[in-house]
Amino acid sequence: MSRKFDFWTLVMIGTWGILLLLLFIPVGSVLLSSFFDTSGNATIENYLRFFAEPRFQRAFINTLVVGFGGLAGALLLGSIMAFCISRFQIKGSRFVSLLAILALVSPPFIGAYSWIVLFGAGGVVRAWLRDFGIMMPPIYGVGGILVVFALKFYPFVYLMVSGALSNVNRSLEEAAEGLGLTPLQRTFKISFPMVFPALTAGGLLALIQSIADFGTPRLLGRGYNVLATEAYTLYSAEVGSNMSMATTISVVLIAVSLVFVLLQRFMSRRNVYHGNMINKPTKIKLKGWRNVLAHFAVYFIGLCGAMPVIISVIYSLRRTNGPVFQDGFALQSYERILFNLGDVVRNSLTFSASAVVMIVIVGTIVGVLVARRTTLNTSLLDGAFMIPYVMPGIVIGIAYIAAFNTGPLVLTGTASIIVLSIFIRRLPYTVRTTSSALRQISPSLEEAAISLGYSPFQAFLRITVPLIVPGIIAGGMLSFVTAINELSSSLVLYVGSTITMPVRIYLLILDGDFGTAAAMSTILLVLSGIAVYIAFRLMGRNEQALL
Amino acid sequence: MAYLTVTDGVKQFTGFRALNGVSISVERGEFFTLLGPSGCGKTTLLRAIAGFNDLTSGSIMLDGQDLRAIPPHKRDIGMVFQDYAVFPHLSVFDNVAFGLKPRKVPAEQIKTRVAEALSAVHLQALAERLPAAMSGGQQQRIGLARAMVINPRLLLMDEPLSNLDAKLRIELREEIRDIQKRVDIATIYVTHDQEEALAISDRICVMSAGHIEQIGTPQEIYGNPQTLFVANFVGTLNTLADGEGRAKLLAELGISANAAHWTIRPERLSLLEAGQGAPSGAVALAGTISKFTYLGREAHVLVDTPAGALVVQVSNPALGAVRTPGEAVSVLVERSALMAFDADSKRLSLEG
Ligand SMILES: Nc1ncnc2c1ncn2[C@@H]1O[C@H](COP(=O)(O)OP(=O)(O)OP(=O)(O)O)[C@@H](O)[C@H]1O
Ligand SMILES: [Mg+2]
Repeated sequence: MSRKFDFWTLVMIGTWGILLLLLFIPVGSVLLSSFFDTSGNATIENYLRFFAEPRFQRAFINTLVVGFGGLAGALLLGSIMAFCISRFQIKGSRFVSLLAILALVSPPFIGAYSWIVLFGAGGVVRAWLRDFGIMMPPIYGVGGILVVFALKFYPFVYLMVSGALSNVNRSLEEAAEGLGLTPLQRTFKISFPMVFPALTAGGLLALIQSIADFGTPRLLGRGYNVLATEAYTLYSAEVGSNMSMATTISVVLIAVSLVFVLLQRFMSRRNVYHGNMINKPTKIKLKGWRNVLAHFAVYFIGLCGAMPVIISVIYSLRRTNGPVFQDGFALQSYERILFNLGDVVRNSLTFSASAVVMIVIVGTIVGVLVARRTTLNTSLLDGAFMIPYVMPGIVIGIAYIAAFNTGPLVLTGTASIIVLSIFIRRLPYTVRTTSSALRQISPSLEEAAISLGYSPFQAFLRITVPLIVPGIIAGGMLSFVTAINELSSSLVLYVGSTITMPVRIYLLILDGDFGTAAAMSTILLVLSGIAVYIAFRLMGRNEQALL
Repeated sequence: MAYLTVTDGVKQFTGFRALNGVSISVERGEFFTLLGPSGCGKTTLLRAIAGFNDLTSGSIMLDGQDLRAIPPHKRDIGMVFQDYAVFPHLSVFDNVAFGLKPRKVPAEQIKTRVAEALSAVHLQALAERLPAAMSGGQQQRIGLARAMVINPRLLLMDEPLSNLDAKLRIELREEIRDIQKRVDIATIYVTHDQEEALAISDRICVMSAGHIEQIGTPQEIYGNPQTLFVANFVGTLNTLADGEGRAKLLAELGISANAAHWTIRPERLSLLEAGQGAPSGAVALAGTISKFTYLGREAHVLVDTPAGALVVQVSNPALGAVRTPGEAVSVLVERSALMAFDADSKRLSLEG
């Protein structure tokens, strides 16, 4: 008994240690350094400057614009798709869901790049339309960013809402029908409140990701700067790198994300509906033009969302001459990766794999701790794990540079710093999934084993562990997908020898080497696809788990 | 000395006393039932015996051994759970064999013992299947076989049938009863279903709010309840309204006890035509019918009398026996049917 107590106390101390070292100290130094000027004097000058200088005011407003724009677009596309798929019979609806998953697992900056290929200055579609005399403005600027965000982040809303919609008890709607409500009233008075929590949760994910995204505004913005890009510019400027201003922006960015997380919690606090599956909604078979319209909407959204993937695959196979595309197809781009960029692929694989192994081990143990020992301490721990959730990657990157550049622990330029940054960002998800999986296992299972003669530890090992392992591996696979696609923190943290695939793709796109970028994106997608496939094999096709 | 004794069991949760000085004793091979409303502490007592949460004070002795000093996995007590607690990742066979492994039973013996246990619960055909898709009744049979196969010193069951439908509940409770008598393991069974308790128990312990109201055979509990709570909880009860009507009725019956509550079971009352006389030792109470409820095998007739509204149970009501509200009748009240309770709800003797 006392040995067990010691083990969990140790875990508790270790967990706080990890959080302190990898989260509180780096984030704390960001907070602190925003209160110092470049020569090290305490000041609130940075914040005054932030709110005074038009450049930062604009970035702040732009961030809100792309955040809410991305949110609105994602909500619109996601709800349409969720509604059509869960309420109407759509041919090939599994395929459409697959398209949504593809959109979800492809890195956002690939999306930006693909839309440039189609609608950029020399875009294929624009050139084609020009032949018909239709002049179309290039996609750069805020409009392009919003299109990309809507198409990239709608799966969050779609997956959340379709899950909720298919759990709404049909009897409730039938009851409303019996009370004489029109279909429209029914939708707004009955179904809408039921899916509202899912809608806000999915919307929040879209909002936070839109605010945090760095690659898209960087590639598509053309002067339309947001907080994430400004922070990066200030940090990376060759001359006059302004770390304290970069950290100030980071703090503002964290604050903005935090406000929205709290707002979403507040909005959906009362709406906890437990769908009981007594009367599952049936799917209506539409007729005539309605049917055509529903199919068109669903496939249009799905295909547009997956467009980056399709474009990457096609362009990766095109014949090239240097960075210039030629007619016809060839495997040159892949050869270039094989001969010149093998170490980049290897870096990505080893970094992601190491991060995932750490995440799975630490996350599982901490998840058990949080689920099984409900004390004030574990509740605090649970709360502390919310913090990485609101941390934009660029902020973690800058925080790690600020914390581990000097001092007792110097990690700048090492592989560890990249692995650790991925580790801390994804750890909360594993802790959450493990603890919620554990809470779903009835305690009477372990008690049964104990009454049959197994010690509590053996009962845990023989009963609980086998039941949660598939979920943990599946969660690990999904963490792998996020890890291997991670751009914004690695971009701040990489040096020549620790460059990863997303960073390399980003640099290739900046260099104009689209063929190689497309080939590398395709490899990235294949790796992500394999991981998702394994996860789905292990836990059934559970698309909600991707969120 | 009894096989299992719990003496002065107290369980104090933070801010709530779930068990307040509970003492029971169970004999070898006895089927002992804890009966009581939700929240009265049945599960708490059972889990204290199993060792999942220890008592705050009191002692638990099993066969002369202090159970509280033994960790739960060494107590050798079989347990059947309300939610079945069947291991979903193990086959039916492996579920049942699970408890034999730590007991170092040789492999061939495991085979025969599991097969025996499975055939006792009629599951031999499903041995290799996974339990996930099985019905609740089948899963609970697995739970039962799994708990019995280890030949435990004591079998504990916490509302094992409450998640099953009515018909299966009756079927399975007969099986549980038969198996328990055959293997002869002392069993403590928890339920809040009075009919179930009456049907399968050797003795019943009625609990309320953390204490024991009465322990006795089903006949004693039903026919001779010692407290108003037990009389009310097990079976249904008419309470005579305090007033002149009651005083007159008691006087006519020649009863003079000074009781606070006067009660009578509906099946001890019967209907007479209005004006019909009563035999000696009984009184015909004039009244009018206010409600008639037909229940198939019986009917309940609500009659307004000077002693309050009384439910009269009519067994096997004939097809034409429908009573219409407003009809004048008499209710036959026998002296021996009355049960009196004092102000503390304790039963009063009416002898003499
Ligand atoms: N861990 C606990 N902390 C505080 N109070 C508890 C705890 N466990 C049980 N209780 C309380 O103790 C009382 C008795 O609970 P118990 O589970 O023994 O009731 P029960 O008789 O089994 O009821 P039921 O028929 O609903 O199963 C309840 O009021 C319950 O709320
Ligand atoms: Mg209980």
